[in-house]
Amino acid sequence: MKRNHQAWQRLVAAARRAPEEGGDEAAPYGFATRVAALALSAEHPAHAALAPRLWLRAAGLACLLAVAAVAANYSVIASAFEEDQPMAATMDDPVAEVVSLGT
Amino acid sequence: MPDEQPFDLVGCLDRVRRRDQAAARDLVEHLHPLVVRIVRGHLPRRVAEEDLVQDIFLKMFTRLDQYQGAVPFPHWVSRIAVTTCIDQLRAQKRRPEFRWADLSAEEAQVLDAVTADEKEVRPDDAYEARELVHKLLGQLKPDDRLVIRMLDLEQKTIAEISSLTGWGQSLIKVRAFRARRKLQKLFQELTQKERE
Repeated sequence: MKRNHQAWQRLVAAARRAPEEGGDEAAPYGFATRVAALALSAEHPAHAALAPRLWLRAAGLACLLAVAAVAANYSVIASAFEEDQPMAATMDDPVAEVVSLGT
Repeated sequence: MPDEQPFDLVGCLDRVRRRDQAAARDLVEHLHPLVVRIVRGHLPRRVAEEDLVQDIFLKMFTRLDQYQGAVPFPHWVSRIAVTTCIDQLRAQKRRPEFRWADLSAEEAQVLDAVTADEKEVRPDDAYEARELVHKLLGQLKPDDRLVIRMLDLEQKTIAEISSLTGWGQSLIKVRAFRARRKLQKLFQELTQKERE
């Protein structure tokens, strides 16, 4: 095993002497422009994260306002329902409706 | 001859944050050599170099708001590059089977030289030695391969690897130990096949 370890160490030492492959490290023509345009055309992450939070808060506020409005006008709403009930009964009966029109 | 102006990284980052496209382009051009060196060192098979470099830069721009300046910016970008390469390597499910027949005559000669104590690898065989190293590393798990490549080929310290990958030092040591054991086994198999 030790001999194999030494063989590996000799092999990598020889491999390190090989010249760097791949050649030119500068960005290819047009690459930087394309990447910059792609990156900045995407939605700004800070704004992207902000929008859903704002929508959620707006929906929550709307719900609260709706509940507060119902609570504030509960007596009016309840009485309106009570007044509507006999009328609703007559409205469902076409004969009663005709009779009430005649009287 | 006038001295070349040093790149104003802080000013450039400031302009990029204000969505200045020219600054973003300058930043890509400035960091391209660093990123491409990392990609070439760890490039997974069948992955186009340019696509991977582009992915790394797009990640860099997306996460720019997370950069707090705790480490130098090129180091922060290197980490993104290394982790992106690891993700690509992990995505490859199958590694090619390594066979004695896959070795060229020169690679077999190099293998013979490194396994026989008395022989030295000729300087002309450095390229073949590197090819052989790549083939042997291809047999390792992606994470183990990355650790061995950084330790033995790039001669980085455990602390540097930890900083680049985000892995703990103990985990790196475990991976290096596991990878070396696997490499020793591979060497044993190859030398046995050579004798046969």
